Amino acid sequence: MKNNDLLDAWLVLVLAAVFGAALAGVYIALTPRILQNQRGDAEKQIPALVPGAARAEKTDVGGETVYRATDAAGALVGWAVPARGQGYADVIQVLIGVDAAADRITGLYVLDQKETPGLGDFIKDGEKYLNQFAGKPAGVPLTVVKKDASAANEIRAVTGATVSSRSVVEIVNAALERFRRHRAAAGA
Amino acid sequence: MSSEPTGPGPLDRFTGGILRENPIFRQILGICPSLAVTNTMEGAVTMAGAVLFVLVCSNVMISLIRHLLKPHLRILVFTLVIAAFVTVADRILAAFLYDMSKQLGPYIPLIIVNCIIIARCEICAAKQGVWTAVTDAVGQSLGFALSIAAIASIREILGFGTWFGQWFGWRVIPVAPPAVWSPWVVMILPPGAFVTLGLLMGAINHLVARSRKAAA
Amino acid sequence: MDYLSTIVLLAVSTALINNMVFHFFVGNCPFIGVSRRVDTAFGMGAAVTFVTTIASLLSWAMTYYVMAPGAKLTAWIAGLVGYQGTADLSILSYVVYIFAIAWAVQLVEMYVRKYFPPLYKAFGVFLPLITTNCVILFVCLEIMKHVGLGAPDPWGLDKALIYAFFAGAGFLIAIVIMAGIREELDLCDVPKPLQGPGITLIIAGILSLSFMGFTGVDASLAKIMHPKRAEPPPAAAAVSDETARPGATSP
Repeated sequence: MKNNDLLDAWLVLVLAAVFGAALAGVYIALTPRILQNQRGDAEKQIPALVPGAARAEKTDVGGETVYRATDAAGALVGWAVPARGQGYADVIQVLIGVDAAADRITGLYVLDQKETPGLGDFIKDGEKYLNQFAGKPAGVPLTVVKKDASAANEIRAVTGATVSSRSVVEIVNAALERFRRHRAAAGA
Repeated sequence: MSSEPTGPGPLDRFTGGILRENPIFRQILGICPSLAVTNTMEGAVTMAGAVLFVLVCSNVMISLIRHLLKPHLRILVFTLVIAAFVTVADRILAAFLYDMSKQLGPYIPLIIVNCIIIARCEICAAKQGVWTAVTDAVGQSLGFALSIAAIASIREILGFGTWFGQWFGWRVIPVAPPAVWSPWVVMILPPGAFVTLGLLMGAINHLVARSRKAAA
Repeated sequence: MDYLSTIVLLAVSTALINNMVFHFFVGNCPFIGVSRRVDTAFGMGAAVTFVTTIASLLSWAMTYYVMAPGAKLTAWIAGLVGYQGTADLSILSYVVYIFAIAWAVQLVEMYVRKYFPPLYKAFGVFLPLITTNCVILFVCLEIMKHVGLGAPDPWGLDKALIYAFFAGAGFLIAIVIMAGIREELDLCDVPKPLQGPGITLIIAGILSLSFMGFTGVDASLAKIMHPKRAEPPPAAAAVSDETARPGATSP
């Protein structure tokens, strides 16, 4: 009985071997390109986030991955700090651009979010929300207001999506506080 | 080895896939992707392309080895073949259409358990020749594509006001002040998907019943 | 306490907020097909939960030890043959998962046939069809996303099993609610074209709308359970609480 089963299964085994080899081939052929795609997502944004950045390299500051942005000559022009946290619906991932001394935010980009379409997901819109972050101080916590922002550390929320807007600001505040603390500790 | 007709011929298979045996509206198969990826036309088109690729490759493969299949192991073989081709399709998308791959997420690998493909392997490819299997695959995929394109058109136009907004930026409903027209955000969300598909099914059932009565 | 609250949050989030049927659209075929009567619906939901948990146990083990980039067993074997790079068998994931699912279904089928013969007969062809239930493969894919090199906060076996069990539970809740409604619907005058899948889908739409009311519950639960961690910086607390509902402000 057992012998019969094995004989019957020869087709399955042969197919498994053939497909195994084929899949290995696909893996070898396509993986470099896929890895590049995955990396490129965050790195593509850095020239827009940090003015003057020509290159960005991944480094480690205080146990967390950040990108060190340099100009063509190799001088440090700024940093891009990835951060994530809970939004209204699900996790929000952002990329924060700061200047070389980590004193000013130079830009903000939303890498991934699943907020309510048509309401919360306007946090990824430059005009409606993100452009406000450029020029804001990185050393003090930002706050969210519903009317026009007057103080230097105020951000105007997206209309009808205060929780999503507030979540992004909390994520930014926490990440920058950690980044500045780690840099100070590293003596950079 | 000629393919003895053990079922409808190639042309019948092709046209059947589009209308008579439409996978979504007549066979009620493949509902999961038709709800999940149809909030934009781009998602629907990419999914339809992936299904076409997997269905054609699987049908051809199964048809080529149909005389070697043992009855009690055939589902296992179908599954293995389909899973392998879906892996290939998924990797190709991740390599060349990375944005779509991220947008469609887990729904591409879910093609493996899409009942349409296993059903076609069982009903057609395991019994008929390669050419018939190919026309069957293309017909069914076309039927699937047209169906989800219809759902996606309704959802994207009413929900975003665009059609192919991501790839071509075509705007169907002009941007207007909220007092005149606000996008129906619910159409992009799960409830809109369910209700659209339900109403479309009702509409198609109605049309089919009417044409049957007229033919009688 | 922290661990327990993480588990509770994961359970609530999977079963209610990100419900498999109403949020992720998986498991629709049995949801439409087997939701006519409450007892069969409950049986199907229980079977799916059972199979999902077993299959996810297998999937997690295979992913963690063999297939993920840098998995222990594979890395060890690669080390033996002197392979330098990261051993990554993840390309085989889908094939392995579907076989794990098929095997788990076989197991459950044998168990049900031996110990619950009337239930086995009631199920008929639907039991082997659970192999093609999207819920199970979806759960395996989620586990794959959260295990392996580079996954932020990787899931151990405990989290994977909790996720799988409560995904099945969410599916069970959905299908039983639908069955309850459809039993009542038998007494109603549904227009002929909409009978069957049509009206079921429309009702599913209304149900998913109501389940959307659960959005944000896990964030609030998290704030209640970890008051210290969730406290925003003092300046941000100046935003009043009535703005916490999007849409409460007119655009």
